Amino acid sequence: MPAATLGAIAARLKAAAAVAVLAGAGLAAGPAASQPAASPPGAGHGADLGGVWTNDPPAETLAYQNDTVSAEPPAFTDWGRARYEAAKPSRGPRGVAVAETDDPVYQCFPPGTPRVYLHPFPMEIVQTPGRVLMIFEYDHLIRQIYTDGRGHRTDLAPMWMGDSIGRWEGETLVVETVNFNDKTWLDRTGVAHSEALRVVERIRLVAEDRLEIDITMEDPVALAEPWRGQRYLRKTDWDIEEFSCMDNVNFLEYEQDILEFED
Amino acid sequence: MRRILTCGCTVAILLAGAQAAAHHGPGLYDRTKSVSVTGRVTQFRFMNPHVLIYVAAAGEDGREIVWSGELTSPNRLARSATPVDWHKDLLKPGDVVTLSGNPAQNGAPALLLNRVLDGEGNVLTATGR
Repeated sequence: MPAATLGAIAARLKAAAAVAVLAGAGLAAGPAASQPAASPPGAGHGADLGGVWTNDPPAETLAYQNDTVSAEPPAFTDWGRARYEAAKPSRGPRGVAVAETDDPVYQCFPPGTPRVYLHPFPMEIVQTPGRVLMIFEYDHLIRQIYTDGRGHRTDLAPMWMGDSIGRWEGETLVVETVNFNDKTWLDRTGVAHSEALRVVERIRLVAEDRLEIDITMEDPVALAEPWRGQRYLRKTDWDIEEFSCMDNVNFLEYEQDILEFED
Repeated sequence: MRRILTCGCTVAILLAGAQAAAHHGPGLYDRTKSVSVTGRVTQFRFMNPHVLIYVAAAGEDGREIVWSGELTSPNRLARSATPVDWHKDLLKPGDVVTLSGNPAQNGAPALLLNRVLDGEGNVLTATGR
């Protein structure tokens, strides 16, 4: 690339950075001055959910908890049922080999919310003033849950993980997530959803080292009624390590070698 | 990698109960059967998404067969309550191990592992996935 072009790009980046700094200053002053935070952590609201958490399912959910959020599939609309029946999941009672699945995660798309909880890797919660972060070992995904009183963004296109806003109801963190694209599944058994999806999570400590995430999914296009399930996690002393979704893609070569075996 | 493959291997085929839920659906492995094979490690890949152990074992006709066995991911295995701590250097080429697990549906020498023993019969893991 010619040096002149590089210089022009650098100049544009510098100008953009200056604008970003100004905008950031404005944002920092704006909401704090005009709209007090609804539920600042450490101000008599909320609980300390921080730590590294791993799935710790109740015994009665072991048969399905890696695949989905309830023992039975949700109540579908016709739209939802058609997509569910057409899906080729790699898990659950209709599971096929990964080489044959159309699960979007095996193309390395983000798994969406709440499906990200179904991948069997730990997640760290980091609480900061005005924001709760979930750092997932799976593909190093990060969810940002704003708890500073702001509303949902209205200027963004639909997203893989959605737009999450939280508020404290006593010691329960209530998270509403909207503005999803329709390219993910709600679980690993092929439950599709539309852009109308709304997910509400109620996250609380049920013991010092045990977290409950109560999940309700509403989608009038895909689901005939809200779909609800719970996840339970236990606190660990682990570090968040690495699991890249590309490793799954690379593993297809190994599976293909097995599938092509001829005696 | 192409493996040298024959049938009639010196392996024990046992009926086994349903194993822990697998990553890859029911298509690849036969969950109703269990196979054990003892041999020398040729490769130990402590890598995502699944730890792989390759073992060379003699078939009935004396020809060597390379079996592969997959475990869970390395981070999950290292965090599991296994009798030994799993890490990237736990096994090296030449080590004798016994792999036990569900065989591939189509007869390929590949196992979904649920147990690994060392050369003295000590359990290295009884956790598959």
